[in-house]
Amino acid sequence: MTLEAKLGHYRISKAEFEKIKVVLGREPEGLEWALFSALWSEHCSYKSSKIHLKKLYNQSDRVLESFGENAGVIDLGEGERVAFKMESHNHPSFIEPYQGAATGVGGILRDIFTMGARPIALANYLCFGQVKAPRMDYLVNGVVKGIGGYGNCVGVPTITGQTNFDPSYDENILVNALAVGLFRPGENIFTSVAKGPGNLVVYVGAKTGRDGVHGASMASESFDDDSESKKPTVQIGDPFFEKCLIESCLEVMKEDLVVAIQDMGAAGLTSSSFEMASKGGVGLRLDLDKVPVRDSEITAEEIMLSESQERMLLICEPSRLKRIEEVFAKWGLDAVCVGEVLEDRVVKITHEGETLVEIDPDLLTESAPQYDRPYKDWSSPRKSETLPAIDVRLEQAALGPLATVHGNSREFIYQQYDQRVGAQTIKDCQFPVGVVRLPDSDRRLGLVLGCRPHLMRMDAYLGGQDSVIYPTLQLAAYGFKALALTDCLNFGNPEKPELMTELVAALGGMNQFCERFDVPIISGNVSLYNETKDRNVTSTPSTGLVGLRDIEAPIPAAQFQAANRKVLLLQQTQVHTTGAWCDLGLARSAFTGSLDADGLFGLQEALIEANEQQLISSSRVVGRFGLAYNLARMCLGGMGMSSVASSFPSEFWVSERLYEVIVEVDPSQVQALQSLCQSKQVTALEIGMTGGDQLNLESSSIKIDQLLNSYQAGVGESFGLA
Amino acid sequence: MKFGVKVLPRKQVLDTQGRAVEQTLQGQGFDGVQCRVGKYIELELDASSHEEAEKKVKSVAEYVLYNPLIEDFEIVKGE
Amino acid sequence: MKKIGVLRFLGTNCDRDIWQAIEMVHGQPEWLWYQDQFDPNDYAGFVVPGGFSYGDYLRSGALAARTPVMKSLQEAAAKGKPILGICNGFQILCEAHLLPGALVQNEGRRFVDKWLDVQVSTENKYFGGADKSFHLPIAHQDGRFVADNVDDLKSKGQVWVTYQHNPNGSFDDIAGVQNESGNVAGLMPHPERAMAEWMGGSDGLSFFEGMVS
Repeated sequence: MTLEAKLGHYRISKAEFEKIKVVLGREPEGLEWALFSALWSEHCSYKSSKIHLKKLYNQSDRVLESFGENAGVIDLGEGERVAFKMESHNHPSFIEPYQGAATGVGGILRDIFTMGARPIALANYLCFGQVKAPRMDYLVNGVVKGIGGYGNCVGVPTITGQTNFDPSYDENILVNALAVGLFRPGENIFTSVAKGPGNLVVYVGAKTGRDGVHGASMASESFDDDSESKKPTVQIGDPFFEKCLIESCLEVMKEDLVVAIQDMGAAGLTSSSFEMASKGGVGLRLDLDKVPVRDSEITAEEIMLSESQERMLLICEPSRLKRIEEVFAKWGLDAVCVGEVLEDRVVKITHEGETLVEIDPDLLTESAPQYDRPYKDWSSPRKSETLPAIDVRLEQAALGPLATVHGNSREFIYQQYDQRVGAQTIKDCQFPVGVVRLPDSDRRLGLVLGCRPHLMRMDAYLGGQDSVIYPTLQLAAYGFKALALTDCLNFGNPEKPELMTELVAALGGMNQFCERFDVPIISGNVSLYNETKDRNVTSTPSTGLVGLRDIEAPIPAAQFQAANRKVLLLQQTQVHTTGAWCDLGLARSAFTGSLDADGLFGLQEALIEANEQQLISSSRVVGRFGLAYNLARMCLGGMGMSSVASSFPSEFWVSERLYEVIVEVDPSQVQALQSLCQSKQVTALEIGMTGGDQLNLESSSIKIDQLLNSYQAGVGESFGLA
Repeated sequence: MKFGVKVLPRKQVLDTQGRAVEQTLQGQGFDGVQCRVGKYIELELDASSHEEAEKKVKSVAEYVLYNPLIEDFEIVKGE
Repeated sequence: MKKIGVLRFLGTNCDRDIWQAIEMVHGQPEWLWYQDQFDPNDYAGFVVPGGFSYGDYLRSGALAARTPVMKSLQEAAAKGKPILGICNGFQILCEAHLLPGALVQNEGRRFVDKWLDVQVSTENKYFGGADKSFHLPIAHQDGRFVADNVDDLKSKGQVWVTYQHNPNGSFDDIAGVQNESGNVAGLMPHPERAMAEWMGGSDGLSFFEGMVS
């Protein structure tokens, strides 16, 4: 093979080849090519984003583990801790939606239980193309089935999710999966730091096949027409096997048999072994002849790069091996010693009696390239002095979006997920926030996803801020204080300055609010090159936030509960936008104003205190499509409402404003809520009264049945799947 | 004419069902039994010749019956 | 406190939920591992929990039904001990021929998770108490009950609970059946997920109370 061909095969650039020569002091040989290809890929090295990620707010008193480990961990204050993380599986899901989405769920679960936490909740953030895009019905169907197929079988409830549709995802869908795990008091956190020369390296779980070879470098590539030929790299997930792996890993960790543990994710054995050695400042010897394989003809390179699912690498003291083997055997799994920890900082790989590689692991991890890709300061091109008109009449403002994929029911999707396995679910996917019970506690854990692509298309900085603040307010509306955040940065080609500019702007917006709200970013993943034939997806920094509700009373509903209650709008209105109406072609994308973190902090406090004082019986943060549509959503439980006699301009019901919250209040509590809001500089505007079976806004009036008919058709019918 | 189409996981691809069946058999008096799990589909069709029928069956199999990413198929001769 | 055996197979995933439910009605749960046999006399009753034993591979419940622990469960059934199978547990009891019929893929060919109402067709002496209807969640892919002899089952009082609105195409809306003597019963809905108001309802309590009282 010529050098050119070799560089192409291993997807190493000319410049990086020169850097490898400097690092090694010579040209790479044999297996080294594959190792550099995998570990220096964007997917493993974060080479385009690392310098920006380093600036993120990621520490606070409650943060126990953050970037660098498999998942972030925070302290809940009474002995329990939670681990959580979100990860993308975009490219594999576009190629084979069922397996791509399923293995995405499997991978994120392994990141959680690798730490020693029992997985207690799943969530997924999905972006699909428009209804008429080629293969889109197949992709929606396959992804949803794959997520359900894996999560349901492995026995972890899916408690929340978000699904968006936009033409920018027509040829590059986004599939981001989030998992949360719980450490009960006294349970240890495990890390991937290899320690103790003479300790054993133990391979556990499934046998190694050719699945996903070169997957890590593929994930860092743009889609092109030859994606078809990359098909054979699809990995197959086995949730049944994963379930056995969860139980056996948690069991050996509970018995304290393990020194360090790491799952084999992207670039499989290569990344797990090199990262464990590098973090521990030690070396490892790996004997590939001992690695259990599914196919006897598999090569050493394929063993090192395989992305076969449901495998882990662990380090243990020699005396513990026998007990580890027993535990795994009980669950029907293999545990095989494949090497040992070395004092010298060298990873030594042998196969068929030959030493294939002897290399300092830091050369592949710490010395990986880091780029400061060109970008510009953010200039907010769609910011304007006045808001352009939105071309929609009042009755259509409530009803119209309900009949489109942008505003209709997601029941078709979440009904395919087991939302209650584990028997701890308090609020399921139907509710704006997923809620689980913490064992032996009256405190509740809330989970919500953020990032609204329509705002990202409007302004990357504003959209980044919104990815933090909107979910934070959603938590607060139901009495939860946001504790920490994980993110999945789905962007296009970072080598294009305009894309890099959006990435830096979005991160800047996120970081500003994370700091002010003390919501550290403790884990996440970066997925770049989400482009096909030069067309980039909407820059989509999806987020997942965990919150805690320390209030015994019942959680407010998300729909109106009883007649003759006041409907108030809590306002901290700072930005006016034309919002999601742009997606329907009814307005030009634009906004006025800018966000002020201090004011919004007051809104968060007002909401949590209103929950503490039990002042509100239902609430909802006004989201996509503005007030009228969001009031319609609150009527879907059957209880209607009528607006007060005073007339508001039509823009009031239609435009999307950041930020306002609808609350339902007993008349006797209005005074108390008013004074609470006043103390937080939040406006509490009376907009209506509950009652009847209609939504009456000004002169328009719609029967709830009619709203329901539009809403319930849902995503399934939009795609012809239901 | 009646044809059968046997769809099995590709040899290189992990057969999750086969693995679970093998494991259960182990230790229950069936050690060493290897297993692959797939599907069998019967098609009935009109055609003027056996060759034409088989061609049709093949195109149906390729159109929808199997997923080339993860499966292989085999046509079982018809009557 | 009455001891209740909870069966665990590879892939069972509602085992800890059942443990919690039994504790909530003040029973004493104990694990029964799929490879082990046990003495039926040591227990007041048994629960075969839901989940995906062996990944639902081949046929739901087929592989679990052929494991060693099931030999002891057959003995327990013959001795008249109360045995409740929930969801995958129901499928396992059918595959083990402790209950009639079979459970096949939902008519809609999709997994369905939702709350719904079921009605008691013939009362069971151990499970479900005297109530006539229950609000319970379902979560299954293979919940469509089929049998050659549904009329026969009905006349023998073996149709235990039925759906008010059939979610899966079950014959005669059947959601749960029992054996002729009534000590072995299976149902698709999950009573262990309806044990308290915070879960969304407490109609599941009576499915566990009978065994421990």
